[in-house]
Amino acid sequence: MPVNLQIDLGGLTMKNPVTVASGTFGYGAEYADYFDVSQLGAVTVKSLSLEPRSGNVPPRIVETPSGMLNAIGLQNVGMETYLREKLPFLREKKCVIIANIYGSGPEAYASLASRLEAEGGADAIEANLSCPNVHDAQNARGGSLVAQHPDQVALYTQAIREATKLPVFIKLSPNVTDIVEPALAAQEAGADAVSLINTLIGMAIDSETRKPRISNIVGGLSGPAIRPVALKMVWDVSRALHIPVLGMGGIATADDAVQFLLAGARAVAIGCASFRNPDAALKVVQGIENYCQQHGISDVNELVGAVKL
Amino acid sequence: MACITNCKIVAHQEVAPDHRRIVLDAPDIAADARPGQFCMIEVREGSSPFLRRPMSIERIFDDGISILYKAMGEGTRMMASIPTGAYINVQGPLGNIFPIESDTVRSILVAGGIGIAPLIGLAEAIIARGARAPEVILAARTECLLLCEKELSQMGCAVTLATDDGSAGFKGFAADALRLLDPDSKTLVYTCGPNVMMRAVYDVCAAADTRCYASLEAVMACGDGVCMGCVVETNAENEFAKMARVCREGPVFDARVIRWNAFD
Repeated sequence: MPVNLQIDLGGLTMKNPVTVASGTFGYGAEYADYFDVSQLGAVTVKSLSLEPRSGNVPPRIVETPSGMLNAIGLQNVGMETYLREKLPFLREKKCVIIANIYGSGPEAYASLASRLEAEGGADAIEANLSCPNVHDAQNARGGSLVAQHPDQVALYTQAIREATKLPVFIKLSPNVTDIVEPALAAQEAGADAVSLINTLIGMAIDSETRKPRISNIVGGLSGPAIRPVALKMVWDVSRALHIPVLGMGGIATADDAVQFLLAGARAVAIGCASFRNPDAALKVVQGIENYCQQHGISDVNELVGAVKL
Repeated sequence: MACITNCKIVAHQEVAPDHRRIVLDAPDIAADARPGQFCMIEVREGSSPFLRRPMSIERIFDDGISILYKAMGEGTRMMASIPTGAYINVQGPLGNIFPIESDTVRSILVAGGIGIAPLIGLAEAIIARGARAPEVILAARTECLLLCEKELSQMGCAVTLATDDGSAGFKGFAADALRLLDPDSKTLVYTCGPNVMMRAVYDVCAAADTRCYASLEAVMACGDGVCMGCVVETNAENEFAKMARVCREGPVFDARVIRWNAFD
């Protein structure tokens, strides 16, 4: 039985509901040794800033139970190098591109979005308003994230909305009391979809040296450890919003991904599971198709929000 | 080109306290691997431990590779219990390689403890090129942690032993032993070991106008240039290049580009 896997994520057509989480897949070419990355519904690239960034000093990562903490600090090549050196590969492979962007204020996000649109550098924009590891936006030791303030989310979303006709996704933080509030703010300000969740802020200490395991002291927790939290937040947000949800947080297998679809996600992103198995996202695509066939489902859209309560 | 493959364990035994050698049937990896590269090893199925473990390739054979490792953490201790004959999932080869120059008059390999691992394959490759067998400084805390002395001697390498406690060979640090070998501008030094040791080795090299390549170790998540987690600080001017990935720009670096005082 043929299965329709194609979905529409806020105006972005994806041939299947699977992409990768920003920062876990480079610019696509890094994993081209292992599989044809154009088989994914979309490739989401590492956060782009207007200028190159060197990120935080090492150590930046530490393994934790069923996951990892990271505080990379958005090290990236910057917009111009992306357009010149990274984009040609993605275009040549005919990948659908979700460009994740990061800036130090609404104007920077607007500039990034309009330049990406003008240069054909993206098919959709995902605005990272929720990185816990950059000190110019916030300070996890006392400051706050844009995504923690619904009024700020609205301001940033509006600026990006006015700067581009591309689909705009707003990436939200789980480090809030109620994630529905910033999600609604994004929707009302013109977002086409919301992406959730970014990492949960966490910490690890070496008891021998008494020092934090990562130099930034705190970092973002990802991996299967956060999956139940992410799933619940996707469920909360998808019931409250009419725009679609791109669900992520610890998804490693097709079964995980199906759970997110059932909870209400229109599409899913595979994150640090790709570090362990670079073709994890492709296996999820294949596994979702198998699931649909085994359950007599002809269109993957039927699964979205179909959890039985 | 890197690949991911299930490899049969041909041999797996202890070579020193907490140190083991695993020999893998891995023709696809062996076909592409060159000295200096590493593999990412999945020590167990499931999500605990969550990440693969980066490990230097020791020797490269026609149909496989060997890896010398120290069972020191949760993952490596799990790996130590996997029996010969079982299969293990390996991703590789990854990273850059040791530059080998055919006109090198004299090369010296300086290893600290388990840091000898990638230098064994390098010694073999230098000899296979028809160059003079490298001199080797094997340094460790104490005698029982000096690895591979016999193998290196059999290859024809002149081996200098150095121990912190004087239990074997020269009593003192690797860098002091290197200074006694009097390297000059025509000497090429390759080093792998603790950062503090490699930094001291580099200082000796810099003072003698000797070129030095260092193979660095780092905690890694992906091993493939994606996560940006394994970086070291460099002397680069370019903002992005101030942090170099050990997995991609390394693990072998010209020691001049590393900001050694960042390890303080």
